Amino acid sequence: MAEQPIPEQDPVVTKSYALHYVVAMVILMASLFWALWDEAFGQRPWKTFQNEWKQRYTAFLKTAESKSEKSQKDVTQTPEYRQLEQAFNQASEAARSRRDELQKGIADLSAKILAVQNVFTDKRAFANAINYEIETETSASGKKSKQKDLDDYKKEQWTVEYPDGHKEKYNFQQLEEKYNELKDERTKLNAELGEVLKPVTAASTLMSAYINEHMVDLTPAQIEGLKKKTSEWDPKIVQINVAEANIVDRCESCHMGIREPLKLTAASMTAKGEKKPDEYADAFVSHPEPALLKTHDPDKFGCSPCHQGNGRATTSVEKAHGNYEHWLWPLFPKRNAEAGCQTCHSADMVLVSGDVGWTISEAKDLFRQKGCMGCHRYEGYDKEPEDLNTVSQQIKQSEGQKKDNIKEAADLMKQADAAESNEDANRLNDKAIALKVSNSKLDGRIQQLDFQSHSLMQDMKKVGPNLKDIRLKLNKNWIPVWLKKPTDFRPTTKMPNFRLTDHQIQAISAYLWQSAFTDAPPKQKPGNAAHGKELFETRGCLACHSIGQGDQMMGGVFAANLTREGEKANYDYLVRWIHNARQRTRPYCPYEKRDLGPEDYAKKGLPYQFDLEHSQCPNDGHELQVQNMTVMPSLRLSVEDAQDIASFLMTQKRQEPSAYADASFMDDPKLKDEGKKWVRHYGCAGCHEISGMEDEGRIGTELTYEGSKPIERLDFALFTVPAERGTQEPITDPEDLARLPEGPAKGPWYDHKGFFEHKLAEPNVYDKGKIKSETETLRMPNLHLNKEQIQALTTFLLGSEESSLPDSYQYKPGDSRGDIQRGWWIVKKYNCMGCHQFIPGQKTILMGLPQYRENPEQLPPKLLTEGARVDPEWLRRFLSNPALSEADTNRNGVRPYLKVRMPTFSFSDNELRALVRFFQALSQQPIPYIPEQVPVLTAKETDMARSLFSSTAAPCLKCHATGDPQHDKIATAPNFLLAKERLKPDWAERWVLDPQAISPGTSMPSGLFRRENNQWVFAGPTPPSFQGYTKDHSRLLVDYIFRLTPEEQRRVAASRGRTGASNVTPSIQKQAAVAAGGGGSR
Amino acid sequence: MDWHQLWEIASAPDNVPIVGMIPLLFFYIYLAWKQAKANDELIGELETNPAMAKTHHRKTWPFRPGWQKEVHVWPFLLRIEFLAAIIVTIVLMIWSITLYAPLEEPANPNLTMNPAKAPWYFLGLQEMLVYFDPWIAGVVMPTLIIIGLMVIPYIDTNPLGSGYYTWKQRKFAIGTFMFGFIVLWVAMIIIGTFIRGPGWQWFWPGQTWDHNRLIYEVNRDLPDLFGITSNLAKGIFGAIVVGGYFAAGGFLVHAFFRRYNPKDYKRMSLLQYSIMQFFLLTMVALPIKMALRLALHIKYVWITPWFNV
Repeated sequence: MAEQPIPEQDPVVTKSYALHYVVAMVILMASLFWALWDEAFGQRPWKTFQNEWKQRYTAFLKTAESKSEKSQKDVTQTPEYRQLEQAFNQASEAARSRRDELQKGIADLSAKILAVQNVFTDKRAFANAINYEIETETSASGKKSKQKDLDDYKKEQWTVEYPDGHKEKYNFQQLEEKYNELKDERTKLNAELGEVLKPVTAASTLMSAYINEHMVDLTPAQIEGLKKKTSEWDPKIVQINVAEANIVDRCESCHMGIREPLKLTAASMTAKGEKKPDEYADAFVSHPEPALLKTHDPDKFGCSPCHQGNGRATTSVEKAHGNYEHWLWPLFPKRNAEAGCQTCHSADMVLVSGDVGWTISEAKDLFRQKGCMGCHRYEGYDKEPEDLNTVSQQIKQSEGQKKDNIKEAADLMKQADAAESNEDANRLNDKAIALKVSNSKLDGRIQQLDFQSHSLMQDMKKVGPNLKDIRLKLNKNWIPVWLKKPTDFRPTTKMPNFRLTDHQIQAISAYLWQSAFTDAPPKQKPGNAAHGKELFETRGCLACHSIGQGDQMMGGVFAANLTREGEKANYDYLVRWIHNARQRTRPYCPYEKRDLGPEDYAKKGLPYQFDLEHSQCPNDGHELQVQNMTVMPSLRLSVEDAQDIASFLMTQKRQEPSAYADASFMDDPKLKDEGKKWVRHYGCAGCHEISGMEDEGRIGTELTYEGSKPIERLDFALFTVPAERGTQEPITDPEDLARLPEGPAKGPWYDHKGFFEHKLAEPNVYDKGKIKSETETLRMPNLHLNKEQIQALTTFLLGSEESSLPDSYQYKPGDSRGDIQRGWWIVKKYNCMGCHQFIPGQKTILMGLPQYRENPEQLPPKLLTEGARVDPEWLRRFLSNPALSEADTNRNGVRPYLKVRMPTFSFSDNELRALVRFFQALSQQPIPYIPEQVPVLTAKETDMARSLFSSTAAPCLKCHATGDPQHDKIATAPNFLLAKERLKPDWAERWVLDPQAISPGTSMPSGLFRRENNQWVFAGPTPPSFQGYTKDHSRLLVDYIFRLTPEEQRRVAASRGRTGASNVTPSIQKQAAVAAGGGGSR
Repeated sequence: MDWHQLWEIASAPDNVPIVGMIPLLFFYIYLAWKQAKANDELIGELETNPAMAKTHHRKTWPFRPGWQKEVHVWPFLLRIEFLAAIIVTIVLMIWSITLYAPLEEPANPNLTMNPAKAPWYFLGLQEMLVYFDPWIAGVVMPTLIIIGLMVIPYIDTNPLGSGYYTWKQRKFAIGTFMFGFIVLWVAMIIIGTFIRGPGWQWFWPGQTWDHNRLIYEVNRDLPDLFGITSNLAKGIFGAIVVGGYFAAGGFLVHAFFRRYNPKDYKRMSLLQYSIMQFFLLTMVALPIKMALRLALHIKYVWITPWFNV
């Protein structure tokens, strides 16, 4: 390097690096402190949370305490408390002198014991050590010499110096005795002290108990305790650790207030001077549903099993909530929080809490009612076809087994004949006989399985109508119009929009038309539409069906809106349908896989008769499907009434049926095959019964564990990147856009929630921009759901996860709680809640109708305590035939005075069993039920009871039906003759004493009896014969009613005369009015 | 240009070392090159003027009376090393505070991540899997790389250039290193990091990594292009082509090596020379195979029932 000037001094030796070192060291120290800070706070944000918590909660407690002190002051001012205080003062005064004495004695003794103990424990330790050496010494001489040492030691004398200064000498044994003696003495004194103080502590307990009972909020003492706990709190991780379920949740490290006994809101936790709640205030609130925490003790359940999120993470809010790419179970969003319920309660239709208005319960109903399980399998939903499949396989297996057995038995017999010895022959014969016996067992089993399949066949329902009947049922030209867009014809329909092309519509309707039954329904006479309208509005049709559109709509959404029924229906078929919807045109044989006709029966010489009693195939003896697979029950109407209702419905139209464009292409045989392809492609048979597709599988993906499907398996198609980055809202159609629960996407939505919401709002959204053939496009139809429904279903799907919790955490009870679960399935299946109230506060559809607002006594009975009320055997009979009569069916069996009709649902044996058990379990009644014996009344008692029963003061016969047709017209309560079989006597007695407590709002008057000298006495003027009667009048009346015979009833009625019935004593009437008003159910 | 995508790749904690490696690599090449250039100039001057050797020490500075002929390691070297250690400590500390270990969700045997990438230092090997069958790319090649590295001291007969940077005196060794390490190894790591996206498809930097992307890419085997169908013929054909490559390549290398590196050539024994030839040709085969695949869509050249090349 010739050009470079050569330095004077050697740069390697003389160059200073001091500045470099200073700078590097400063940066190093800075990064060291940064690391320390990061370790202490940066990675432990919960510390800041806890420090904030201490400040804010203390401030909150201070205000709470002053409030609480004020209310405590009010309590302590009361004379009762003053009295207690006085008692306390007296007691402590009385005990004082002896107490002081005893306490002094105890203190002295304790000091003495300490002095002895110091010496004694030291010597004893030494002695014990020698003892151990003797025990472990092996040689006899060694043992001896050590024993001698010990004995010498124990003879030594030691000095004990007592607190008062005097000294005494003891050897080992004396020392031990002295020590024990002193201790005994102290125990004695302590016991006496306890005895002396007993009245004092009792009085003080009474005082604090009084305060606790009379204060609404926490007492100042309790709040003081909380304050102390808060101020002494050292920041630390708060952790719930449940080893058996592998739960480690540190959520409470930040959410400090979640389990506090006071109600904390974000507003109350906001720091002073701040206007809006910050992230700390939001974190410190109490759990919004403390009742849930009671049933799900956080110490057992933790937090994350319900809420998800990363329970172990503590380094940031995002990490803890699991809101980052690599945590597979992020916190359920607040709006979908109830998804957590589904992870364990997937088998519950109505969550056990029984509360109304739970999103997740609504979602379950929706999933079922919209027929989602027609295409998507979901564990537990629509399981009858699967069960039926299993049963028929078992039948086949058993039949095969039987055949094998017969063959083997014959073989064994042959071998026995050829056997060499008698013994062998006997052995083989025995084997053959055993096989024959097992065949007879198999026969029994097959029969049971046949019963099962009979029941299951009856239980199997389809969401949509039977399309084999469309030729009988529908206006032909209406079908293509309907398929085009069902919501145009009936906005509230369950039938979704399939986005079919005109050609597809033609082909599908052609297939359906050509494959349908061609039998003609019997001709019906025209009916009286005005009478039909009245029947339609009063018989209970509106509990499921609605009529009128928009604001005018009235009735339930469980079944179809009938506003334009007249445009599509065929009158003759409609009459048959209303009369008995379950009546099938032709029976279906699942074994032969075809519908049978009269010719099949004629071949075997059998009459063409098929119903639940005649349900066996004439060809092969297997169970037939003899009913339409609809949940629509029979209302046991006369044919004339059915005609009237049908005539009324036929008037419901906006245009004439003849105005529909001609659809004669439906008869084109060339379209049939293509139509079949499309019907199969779109999975129509999932909801409808369609000829030739009775055994079609589901076309959709299974959804049981959809929530835990890896996000990569959810096909966002061309919207993957826009969803990840939140750059684009794919839905452009304004109608579909309005369905999104949270509006158009504002940020990234590449998660399960985003996928479900978009999919449900516009099911073909992920086809957008894709080039696909007709058969490749997404098939899911648009279910025209609204925001709330999509939010509910999203919640449901998010919770549909494979739980990592052990089985014991899943709510699958085997006891009566399981009966409740199974019962709700059926109750929801038939929409029983449209008419009946099962849970206090639950609204029925009928309650909302104007015609019942004026006269609520016309509403169907509430079933709040049905299980406690009725005899389960009677209930089973009633449910299978609510008319309670074989001959006279056009009436209600129990309440003939109600216009609304309890329908015949033709429940299967399985369902009857499940429903009866459900009602029993709901009212915590034991199964089986053993009826209580009702005592036989003496003649005198009968007379007394009769006089009470028929006295004008007791209004029983005014409302209750008596069997006298004239009276029953105005009766509003059941006939007493039913009581014997129907009711449980203990319930009946509770009922007459306080009906409002059992069924709020009932018209049965309360206050008929009053409590007098430990005896229930009739509240009105008692008949003279009751003088000196010491038993309960109510019990007497109930026993009498349970022994009531028709003759007796007639006699009473005759003796009373009709005119007397309405002439009730004014005092009772007034009471009744007060009671009814006080019930306040309206 | 999808900057979002580019940033996502570059900022992933897994890829930070690679992003850092690129400027560092250029810096150190530059540094080495600068020193080599200075040394080469000095070597030139010394060769023409041997007297200079008496007045110059430590390679670059001319001699000055009063300067020590040699300086001690302590403190003159160690103080600089210690300073470097402090700076590295600072870098590591700040790195560990700001970037967390890239942990992901628990492995799911039913779901393979896409793209599934090896740790960055193995990305070169993974990239090789695209061009050779697993047995060659995963077993034979890595073994040859290790053996080749072990062999270097035994075939390197050039006594010059140890202890200082020089280009002039070790053109062949340095050129081979630059090619083998920087062009092949580092470039393949960069390809594996920045270029290979979902489905191990080729995405240019700034192209969106679209999981649904479909490309038409059908690769053919070389024998198929010549209409060879029988397995035996394919094996023989491939052996001829590969053998031909080694023979032709050998002659070419021989011609150049003898011409431009006559001193080394003279110093090497036949064994040393043929080992060098083998490893050099094997190394050069890799970019040739890459070019065949990427440009001509040729999958394999030599197909046998046991391995494919």
